[in-house]
Parts: sequence; structure tokens; C-alpha cells
Amino acid sequence: MFVLSAWAQDRVINGKVTSSEDGSTLPGVNVVMKGTTNGSVTDGNGNYKLSVPNSGGVLSFSFIGFLTREVEIGSKSTIDIQLESDVQQLSEVVVSAGGLIVQKKELGNFTTTVKASDITAGKTSNAVAGLQGKVPGLLISAVSSGVNPNYRVVLRGQRSLLGNNQALLVLDNVITPSNVLGNLNPEDIEDIQVLNGAGAAALYGSDASNGALIVTTKRGKSGKTEIKVAQTTTFETVSYLPQLQTKFGSGTTPDTPPSYTPYENQQYGPRFDGTMRIIGKPLADGSIQTVPYSYSKEGKNEFWETGNQNQTDLSFSSGDEKGNIYAAAQYFKQNSTVPWDTYNRYSFRVNTDRNIGNSVKVAVSVNYIASNTDVSSQAGNAFTNVLMSPSQVPLTRYKNWRTNPFANPNGYYNEYFDNPYYTLENNRSLTKNNYLQASMELKWNPIKPLTFTSRLGLSGRDVFNKVTSGKFEYSDYTRSISGGSKTNDIGAVSDFGQKTNQLVVDLLAEYKANFSDFSLKAVGGFQSRDNTSNQIFVGVNGLVVSGVYNVSNTLTNLGGGQFGSHYSQFGVYGDVRLGYKDFAFIHTTMRNDWRSVLAKENRSFFYPAVDASLIVTEMIPALKSVDWLGQLKVRGGYSQVGQVNIDPYSLNTTFFQNYGYPYASGGGFSLGNNLVAAGLKPEITTSVEAGFDLDLNKYLASIGMTYYKSNTVDQTIPVQVPSSTGFSTLLTNVGEVENRGIETYIRATPIETSYGLSVFMQATYTLARNKVISLSDQSDLLILPGGVGNARIVAKVGQPFPFLQVTEYKRTSEGQIIVDANTGYPSTDGSYHDVGTTAPPHIVGLTSTISYKGFKLSGTAEFRTGHYLYNSITTAFDFSGAGIRNTWYNRERFVVPNSVYADPENDGAYIQNTNVTTSTGGADFWTDGSRNTGIGENFTHSAGFWKIREISLRYDFPAAWLGATKYIKGASLSIQGRNLFIWVPKTNLYTDPEYSANGADSNAVGFTNINLTPPARYVGGTISLTF
Amino acid sequence: MKKMNFKISTGILMVLLIASSCNDFLDINENPNSPITADVQLVLPQAIVASANVANQFNTYGAHFGGFMANAGGFSGFGNLLSYNLTPGDWNGLWVSTYQDPLEDLKYVIDKTEGVDALSYFNAAAKIMTVVNYQRLVDAFGDIPYTDALRGAEGITAPTYDDGAAVYQALIAKLDEAINVINSAQFPLSLKSPTDARAYDPLFQGDIDNWKRYANTLKLRMYVRTANGAGASSLDLTLGFLIDDAIVNPGYEKNRPNPTWNSWGRSAADALSNSSRIPTTFSFAFYSGSKLTDGGRGETIYVNYPSTPTNQLGNEVNNPTIVSGQVTWASNQAGFEGTGVLKGPSMGSPLMLKAESEFLVAEAMLMGYIPGGLVGMRDNFYNGIKSSYAYLFEDETGAMKDTTGRVETYKTTNSPNKLVIIENATTTAERLEAIITQKYIAMNMITSDEAYNEYRRTGYPISKPGQGPSVDIASNKSTVTSRIDRLPTRILYPSSEQSFNSANFRAVDYASERIFWDPN
Repeated sequence: MFVLSAWAQDRVINGKVTSSEDGSTLPGVNVVMKGTTNGSVTDGNGNYKLSVPNSGGVLSFSFIGFLTREVEIGSKSTIDIQLESDVQQLSEVVVSAGGLIVQKKELGNFTTTVKASDITAGKTSNAVAGLQGKVPGLLISAVSSGVNPNYRVVLRGQRSLLGNNQALLVLDNVITPSNVLGNLNPEDIEDIQVLNGAGAAALYGSDASNGALIVTTKRGKSGKTEIKVAQTTTFETVSYLPQLQTKFGSGTTPDTPPSYTPYENQQYGPRFDGTMRIIGKPLADGSIQTVPYSYSKEGKNEFWETGNQNQTDLSFSSGDEKGNIYAAAQYFKQNSTVPWDTYNRYSFRVNTDRNIGNSVKVAVSVNYIASNTDVSSQAGNAFTNVLMSPSQVPLTRYKNWRTNPFANPNGYYNEYFDNPYYTLENNRSLTKNNYLQASMELKWNPIKPLTFTSRLGLSGRDVFNKVTSGKFEYSDYTRSISGGSKTNDIGAVSDFGQKTNQLVVDLLAEYKANFSDFSLKAVGGFQSRDNTSNQIFVGVNGLVVSGVYNVSNTLTNLGGGQFGSHYSQFGVYGDVRLGYKDFAFIHTTMRNDWRSVLAKENRSFFYPAVDASLIVTEMIPALKSVDWLGQLKVRGGYSQVGQVNIDPYSLNTTFFQNYGYPYASGGGFSLGNNLVAAGLKPEITTSVEAGFDLDLNKYLASIGMTYYKSNTVDQTIPVQVPSSTGFSTLLTNVGEVENRGIETYIRATPIETSYGLSVFMQATYTLARNKVISLSDQSDLLILPGGVGNARIVAKVGQPFPFLQVTEYKRTSEGQIIVDANTGYPSTDGSYHDVGTTAPPHIVGLTSTISYKGFKLSGTAEFRTGHYLYNSITTAFDFSGAGIRNTWYNRERFVVPNSVYADPENDGAYIQNTNVTTSTGGADFWTDGSRNTGIGENFTHSAGFWKIREISLRYDFPAAWLGATKYIKGASLSIQGRNLFIWVPKTNLYTDPEYSANGADSNAVGFTNINLTPPARYVGGTISLTF
Repeated sequence: MKKMNFKISTGILMVLLIASSCNDFLDINENPNSPITADVQLVLPQAIVASANVANQFNTYGAHFGGFMANAGGFSGFGNLLSYNLTPGDWNGLWVSTYQDPLEDLKYVIDKTEGVDALSYFNAAAKIMTVVNYQRLVDAFGDIPYTDALRGAEGITAPTYDDGAAVYQALIAKLDEAINVINSAQFPLSLKSPTDARAYDPLFQGDIDNWKRYANTLKLRMYVRTANGAGASSLDLTLGFLIDDAIVNPGYEKNRPNPTWNSWGRSAADALSNSSRIPTTFSFAFYSGSKLTDGGRGETIYVNYPSTPTNQLGNEVNNPTIVSGQVTWASNQAGFEGTGVLKGPSMGSPLMLKAESEFLVAEAMLMGYIPGGLVGMRDNFYNGIKSSYAYLFEDETGAMKDTTGRVETYKTTNSPNKLVIIENATTTAERLEAIITQKYIAMNMITSDEAYNEYRRTGYPISKPGQGPSVDIASNKSTVTSRIDRLPTRILYPSSEQSFNSANFRAVDYASERIFWDPN
């Protein structure tokens, strides 16, 4: 023994252990010489010291919640090391529904944990964006761009036709309105647990049918005090624009031959020839602009500017055995790519825990977020006028519309549409949002197996919005030379205020016990929720004094409205989890809900859920000896969850004043157009899921797959009825939607070397299919609001949902386009035809992280396919002649490809068209509704894409360098880019297929329009210091 | 023992308290935002005003198909407004608005008042207004849901269609029923509100005799439109017909403007409402001297008369723009501002002019449906012209601008034209042409849909396709090639019927299928 230790303790090695996630030091890490009992533990600053044999060996670093790493000592005397946190490990404990702590292996339903470093690697200002491409089964779509973009978050496909399909947000165990997530400071997040299915979330009650995102924020750690400051600067540029033609200038109908009109917005004039031409009409002093008749480099493509974002973070965290505190502040400021548009956000958070005696623990979290959004209220109009500007016009010269006479509305070249700079700056919308999130949790542990928890959560939001529109009067001269299109802007102002509150109370008792081979956890609980909202709006058109934006400064009566709502619910639930020998687990939950929005006799409903998991590798001893096999878990679950998708007060048809009422003579009321069926019930989603998770010892690989199927019946739908019934809709319970899918992941660290190189890779694949099984008796079709003339989003029996239908060309039964035998013109048949789903059935996410010493390079890519999109942008492009489509035939007459015309001799027969060209290939063809712009299929295409979501490179300065300074514990520098590249099919000429013109809350995805700010690319850098 | 009792009762009390507080917690679904019941006194006036609002939509439709309105310069993208290449989404509002708004509300009033003696007048007025709305639907769509219609609340969600001619008969019966309800009422509440005569009855201000005359005139209109005037002999001639224009006005004002003013005039803040339309050369030719000379009515109706910009529908070559900053269908002639068809925001909204009633009587007499003969016809014909002048020369407030001698001037200026001097028309066809043409002129941009109906029924005023804008009623981009006049014969059923009432929906051919009263 003596001899052995004599040669063994030959030299001393030391070093520091940090977390790869954020570079923070890790106290308490076990450092052991592999194959010996010789070991040490890191101190409060993550430092360790250990005697090792001269000949070297392998050091193993292990710490709960982190992946164990082994490093060859070689001849090194200092080994600094970073540990990867391991959220996927089955022994890992996670927060599950209700705030209960469970081991991953106990879970019978599929969940994914995303840690902070993965969410914030790309330094997104919105935490949701940080989840894109990283979680199987989770579809996050950035439906808009610009300041504070909106995201739609859907798990396992859309199952409710008109109700909410977005995942439930649970913030620090408190059910929270989903709009909070996009406004949270991402740096405050510790991790996000994604509960993909209704089963996992059933305990949360009737809003859990869409799955849930459980967000846990950071808390102070015992024995560790840290101050972090970070500064991030990001630049934002428009990443791509619709494809526009660059060959033809201003001109309108008629088009034979095309003639130049200097003040025309349409671009059906002659081909560019480089000669000098006038644009616009002369000013009052006779001056007029002359520009080269060619594509202008100062034109519309340069309209969007380089935006910038600045984010400053400060956080403090500390703790001891008595309690802890985490306090953080963030200031975020964005100047958009859209001139004058800005956004800023302040966020403050304090999370603190305190132990009182041995049995009571109090946890308090308070988060205040204030944001200011200053955008144009007429952005859509402005963008339309930008993109529809003729290419020879040097548009960017017209920013100073107050001082530049050619930019001023009086002198602007365009006879029919306003200067977009004027439109943007003169029409503003200012929004102030204040969010207050507060929660208090009291845990009492009177005897070891029993815990009582009471939790109080408040979410408050105040919104104040002011929309202003400046007054402008045209000069007499301008009016004298213009037709009817120059009408004065009379000015307008409107104010909107809203206050919403949500109060959630949870009371639960948890009992834990072990009986020989069995373990038991039983929970009984009560939850109540109370929501109030009040909104008030007042507005006027026509201002008296220019520039005074107050509703009292008006020529007309005030218009306004008010809407208040109050609804509540409570539920009682039980939850029992039974374990056998730590390898078999069965879990059931039961819940009964009462909801105020339903009629008294229907407002109580009950639903159960059950799931089970089996750790096969633990159960069968023989498998333990298979050395490549880590752990194999098989799992499955069945659940029922009721969801109430109706607004308060919707059980009756209401009366309202309309058609100008009230008049001076008195009031007048009209019966509303929405019928309500008696006895509305909740929608019920019944789901099953089954899957496995397999950990391999080699390459730290893990593979998992989950199959799910859910059926949602009794959908609460305002079924459209023919107007001849006297009504437009009948709110009733009908219809069934079935969702099926597969969620798979594979993770591995194929390279892990002793000299510090490690490569982590993750691939996820999601297959999400759904089908409308049935609808109402009246119709196998439900048209969603938000359609446009040539396209609509529907639910159709036998088809996936949402489903796109567009108008098409008049065709033969063989699919050939029928053209007129004389004019060669095709036409629309005026009715809607099936296209396909607008939700992607296939999603692939790829993530990779390469670490070497202090460097860490990570990236995420995402691929989606199998779905379709309609661009309502494009009818405008063909109307104006700005789009590229209308130059495909060089504005010449052409034979419509694959077309036929009626055989004059032979009724009902058609002759292949090889020679009848369109009567014109210019404005008369392309701007016409029945020949081109009204035919929806022209603007419909695959919504598939490949995107590089984010790439980031971080460097953590070595501890040795920082050792020289007394105070700095950690420092890092990073650069990151988001939305870097996108590849779309050739047929998509226009925009980001993730966009939705109907906004984040509408199920009618699949439309884009011109009102959306073009997609942006973000590139930035961050410096971060820890003290 | 005592103690135990106390405990038990406390326990029971606690349970009760929790149970009741839970109910209190949930019993909060009473709507604080909108009422769920309303008195008929509040619903009838709204339904009448809604009917006037829908009348404006019908006027726009009639002005377009009936040859009154053309595209102005500086605008394009009119699409099938010029080609008449109708698709199921076009003109849906006529159907949807009529059923969902006035008809549904009138059904509510009728249901609430049926058999209630005190509310007889409300019941009758609602029935008469129901007829007004249904007739417009039949005239535009032919066969329509009637028996099964408006019964969504009873669970009839796919109404079957009734034959258009049968609906006409049912409407005539309904008018008889309404007149009967009025006549047999014992102690009816007046339609005249004590606070404001327009409050319950913005059409006749509570004058129940005018309601009866209006009902009688509606019957006359349906009889005249039906082949050979069948049934007209049953008309109650002692009751008579409209003695005044039937005009709805609940108190329109600048901020709550007349719907037609709102569509074609100015907004509350004085912005131009519409600048993409100008009069057709075809309709303007009845004023400008090209077909007839009518400086009197011309200068009340048109901006810058007689140099008003006009166009043929469909022509997009160098077509004039509107007069900058001016309402096209509003006079800017000194002394005549505020007259004509767009008098101002507070003008009333005509459902039926007295002139129309007189032209109907003239035709009924001409055809011998009612007694009166040619003399009666002649008198009613000239009265019709006179009434048209009277309406147009009324200003926004209802005050009459001077019309003295204007009708005489009109007659002398256009003498011996048979369209004005009906004595010069010698055949029935010529006389009918004069009556219908004059009615067409009287309805210009007021009830243009009726002008389009009568054009389809009678073929007047005469259109000569391809012979120039002043005589061609149709768009020169018309794709309707199967008809001489190149106008569509009707519009399509709305796409909502196609989608939600597919069991009863029928596709129609807009170039050949005709309304039952249309022989052409």
C-alpha cells in the first residue's frame, strides 16, 4: 500500500471546472482518477487540486445534471474543463405538470428540455425564436418581421378548427397568458420543458390539450455569488425581397403600343432604354425631374435600411442555505429596417427563495416588463407603394418629404399613390405594454412524506395604444392638375386602452412513500383561475388643428367602444404515480373542471389520463451487461382533455346598434347574425401516445421516437349557415379532427477528445398529419375568416387542416387550360379548387455544437416541406407591373402553355392550342382579373424551405488569463447570426413562407400579404463578463 | 353534545359557503356589453333604416348594370365590372345584407307582434317592409328561399328555394294581410313616437294611411310587372297610391350620413367618397341634348353640367377623370347646390318615388289593367315627370327650389319628341317606351335597380349596341355575346349559398337565364 501511494502521489494537477452553457464556475464537481478512489471536489470557485501519478492517467469529472467527461492527463499540470449539462439523462429530475418534481424515467409521455444556453445562443430578443428547430413536434413560425415579431407556437399540429391551438404557457409553475413568453427576457430563463401532448399536461386543466411549455426562470444558487453584465449589438438587414422586374418603366392601359406616362404607378410602359425622361408633373414653379429611363440604384430595393438592436443585461445571483436571490435587468432597443420604426423593452426580475425553519419554504418571483413600440399604422400601404414603384424612380431620394418639393405630396411624381416615406412618417402607432408577473409559493413539509403547496400567481397587462394620422392639404395648383386621386388627408387620432388580469390559485398536497419495492406519489389539488379584461377605444377622423393628436381636436363626433369581460374556472384533481423497483412506473391523473363561460348544466366536466414507463434495461438484468447499451425506456399514455373554446357571453344572440344608430330621433337595435345552439359543451381531445428513449454508451448517443394520435370531437364552431336562414353562423358542437404523427430525435457526441475537441449533433424529425373526419350536417366545408378573393383557408372533410383552396383556370377534364379561340385568353372558372395543407407535415431540425478549448461553435438549421402558401401580395405586383411574372413573356403576345380552345365544328371537343396567342401580352392581359390576377393558382406554391436559423461562435477566456484580474471570474465574447440563409422552391418568388397575414393567433395560416415587413437577417456580437 | 352540534353545524355552514361561493365564482356570464332582448319599438326603425341602406347597395348594382355609371379615368382594375364576366363572389352583399339584416329583424318584429292588437301597426309595417326587401331579391335573383327562409333559429339551416312567381303571389298576400291588420286593429299603439316622429317610423313618421298606400303601390308594381298585369283588377283604387315620395330618414346628419351620400358624396370630414366613377354617356344623353334636352334636371344632378365628364362603361382609353375635388352626382351650379340625387349628408333615402308610382299607374292604365284609359295615362305620365322634377328640385332640408315652368320648358324644348310629348306616341309600344324611358330618367342614381328591372322587362330605354356611347347601354368590354344588348340577364346566387346550402343551390347562366317576368 505504502509503495503504491508513494509513486502515485508524484505531482499535483490543478484546474477549474466551468459550465459550457454560460461559463459559470461549478462548485462540488467530483474529480476522480479513473479506476482509483483517488479524487477531489471543486471548491466554491470551481477550482480543484489533485495529486496524480507521474505517469499520468485519465481524470473523470462528474457532476449531477452534467455529462461526465474523461480527460487524459498526459504531461499537463493544469486542466481547465467545461462540462456540458445533460438535460436528457433519464435520472435527471425535471419539473412536470403542477410543479411536481419527477425523474425523467418516470414520465410516460414525451417531453423535451431545452436549456438556457440553447435558447440564448443566437441572442434572440424573443425566447420563442430560440426554440425553433430544436424540439421534435414543436412548430414555431415567425409569422411577421419588423419590431417585436410574432410567433405562432403549435405542438403536434392543429386540432381545434377555430379554437386556440397554441401551447399553454406555464411560467414558474403558474399558468400565464401566452403573450408573455415573447416579452420575457430570454436571459432570465433557466430552461424550458416542452410537454408535447395533452397527456403530459393534463394536470393543468382544460387549456392543456395543446401541450405546454413549462418555463423555469433562474434562481440564486447556494454558495455562489455572481454578477453578470453583457452587451449585445446586432445589425438587421432585409434578407430578401420579392422578385421584381427591372426592364420596364411607367405606363398603363391600353398597351398597344405601350406608351410612357411620367406620373403613372403602373409599369406597363416601354422597355428601359437609358434615355433621359421626365417623371411626375411639373411643380408650381415649373421645375420637373428628369431621370435616366433605366433601373435606378436608388430605387425601391434600397428602401429598407440597416436596423440595429442593442441589448444590455445585468444580473445578480447569490444564495446560502437559508435562501437565495436572483435579480436581473435587461434593456433592449431596436431600430427597425423600416424607417422610423423603433421598439424598446425594459425588464426587471427578482426571484427569491427563503427557508423558514426546516419545513417551510417561501418562493417569490416578480417580473415587470415595459415595452414601447413605435411603428407606422400604414406600413402595409407604404410597402405596397414601395414595391409597386416603377424601377426608374429614385425612390430613396424622397425621404425628406417635408423639405424636398419632389418628395412632398404636392410634388410627388406618382399621380395615384402617396410617397411611402410620407405614409410611414405621417401615420404612426405608438403602443405601450406593461406586463407584471408575480407569484408566491409556500411549501410546507410538516412530515417527511407530506408536502403542502399553495401558490398564487398574477399576470397583469396594460396596453395603451395611440394611432395618429397627420393632416395634409394639397395646394390649389396640385389639385388643378390632378384628377380625383389627390384628396386631402383630414387627420385622425384614436386611443385604445386595455387592462387584463389573470389570477391563478393552486393548492395541492403531495404524499410520497416507499413500501418495499414500490414507490408512491399521490397528489390532490385545487386550482382556480379568474380573468378580467376591460378595453376602451375612442377615435376621431378629421382634426381641426394640425399636429395636435388629441381626440378633442376634432371636426366630427367621437367614435368609440368598450368591451369588458370576466370569466373564471376552477378544477380539482388527483394525481397518483406508482413505481416498482425503480424500473416500472404507472401514473394517472383525474381532473374535474368547472367553467363560467358555459351554461350552468354543462359547465362541469371530468377527464382522466394515464401513462406508464418501463426501463427495460433495468428490468432485464441481462441487458446490463451489454456494454454499448445505456438505458432503454419504453413509454405510453392515454389521455382525455376537455377544452372550452368559447368566449365569455357567447351563449346568446345579442342585439346591437347598427346602420348609424343612434340617431337624434332615438336608438335602434338589430338582432345579431350569430345563432347559438343550446347546451354547448367543451371540446374533448382524446389522445394516445407510445414511444421509446434509448441511451447508448458509445458517443453519448440517444435516440427516441414517439407516435401519437389524437381525436378532437365536439369542436365548438360557428358553423356557417346560408344567409337565407337570417343568420350567418350557428355556434355549435360539431366536427372531429384527427391528428397523427411521429416525433423522433437522435443526439450524439461523436467526437470527444482529451485535448478538448467535442462535437455534439442533434437531428429531429417530425411527421404531423391530420385530417378533418367530420363537420356539420349542412356542409363538409368550414371557411376560416381571413380569406381573400382568390384563395381561402378551409376545413374540409377528408382533408388535412388547415387546407388551402384557390381559384383556378377554366380547364378541360384532362387539366388543359381552355383559352378563347379568338383572343387566346384563359379565364377563371370562378370556383375554388383544392390545393393542400398549409401546415408542414415534415419538419427536420438539425443542431450542432463544436467545442474546442474555450471556443464553441453552434448552429441550427430547419427544413419544412409538404405544405402550401398563397401570396396575396402578388395580385398587386401584376396589377402594377412591378412583379417578375408579367415579364416572363417579355410583355409580348404568347400562347398560353398547355392550352386548348373549343373546336368550332365539334361541340364539347377541344383543339390543342399551338398558334392562338393572347391578344396582348401587356397591361390588358396581366392586370386583368379574369385572365390573370383573379386566378389564385398563379400565386400559389410550395411553402417548403431550408433555413439556417442561427450560427453562433463563442469564446470563453481561459481562467488563467482572468486569474490576473482579481474580480473577473469569467469573460466571453461571441458573434452570432440569425435567419442567415433560406432556400425556397423556385416557384416562391415572394417572401418567407413562415409568414402569416392573419397573425399569430389565427388558425388560418397559409396566406401572406404585402403588409408584412420583409424578412430580416440578424448579425451581432456579445461581450459578457462575470464577477 | 352541545359542542359536537356546534362543530357539525359549522361544518355544514362551511360546505354551504364553499358551494355557494363557487357558484358565485362561476355565475358571472351575464353579458355586460350587449343586450340580449330588445323592444320592437327599437328594432322596427333599425330594420327600416337597414332596408334603406340595402336600397343603396341595390342602387349601385342597378346603376352599374342599368347603364347609369361608368369607370372614370385614372383607375384601372375594374375587372368584371366591365366584362360582366360574373363569378359567384360578385354582388353577394345584396343577398347577404337583405336576409341577415332587415329581413331577419323584421321577422323578429313580426314574431313579437303577431296577434298583439296593441302592436298591430308595428306588425303591419314590418310585413310591408318585408315585402319591399323580398321583392328586390326576387327581381335580382328569381327563385329564392321564402317559405323556409329566416327560420335558422327553428333549426332550418338549409332553406329550400321557392319559385319567383310564387313568391310574388305570397308577397301580394302578405300586403293584403298587412292592410287587413291595420284595418282591424282595435286599440293600436301609434307608430308615431311621442318624442320624435321618426323614432319608430323613419319612413312615414307614423302616418298609417301612407303605409297602406305604400302597400297598395307595391302591389301595383308587382301586378304591372307580372305578365298581362294579372290580378291588378283586385287593387283597391279608393285607397289609392303613394301621395308622397317614400323616403327613409331617421335623422341622417353629417356624422351619420345618408348611405347614398356616404357612398358617392363625401365623408363626415369632407373627403370625397369615391372618385373612380362618372356618369355613362348613355344616361347623360337624356339631359345633354344628344337624346333629350333636360337642362333643368341636368343641372340639379350633375357636377359642372353640361360639361360633366362622361364615359362609356368599359372604355379605358383617354377616359376623363372626375372633376377634381367635386362630387360627380352633385350640382355645383349656383342656386342648385344641395338638390338633385346627392343633396347632402342629411337627405333622406328614397325607397320609392311618387314619380315611380305615377308611371306605374300610367302603364296600368295604358295596358287597361286599371280603369283610366289614355287620358288617365297621359295625366299620370306628366304627373310622373312633374314629381320627378319636384323631388330633384327639393333641397337637403326638403325645401323646394323653384320649379315653376320647368316641366313646361322641358316639354317645349323636346317637342315633338315622343318620349316627352306622349300625345305624339301613337302606338302602345311607343307610349310604353315613353313611360318607361321617363321612369328610367326619374330613377337615375336614386333607385337605379328598378330602372334595370324595367329595362329587362320592357327593353326601354332603347339600346343600340355598337353604335356609340350615347346609345349603347352596355359595357364595350362585355363578354356577354349571346344577347343583342350584351347585358347580363341576371346575377349569380352568392357563393355562400353554394358553400352552405349546396343541397338547394343551383348554378345559373348570367347571360341567358331570366327572371320570371322578363320576356326579353
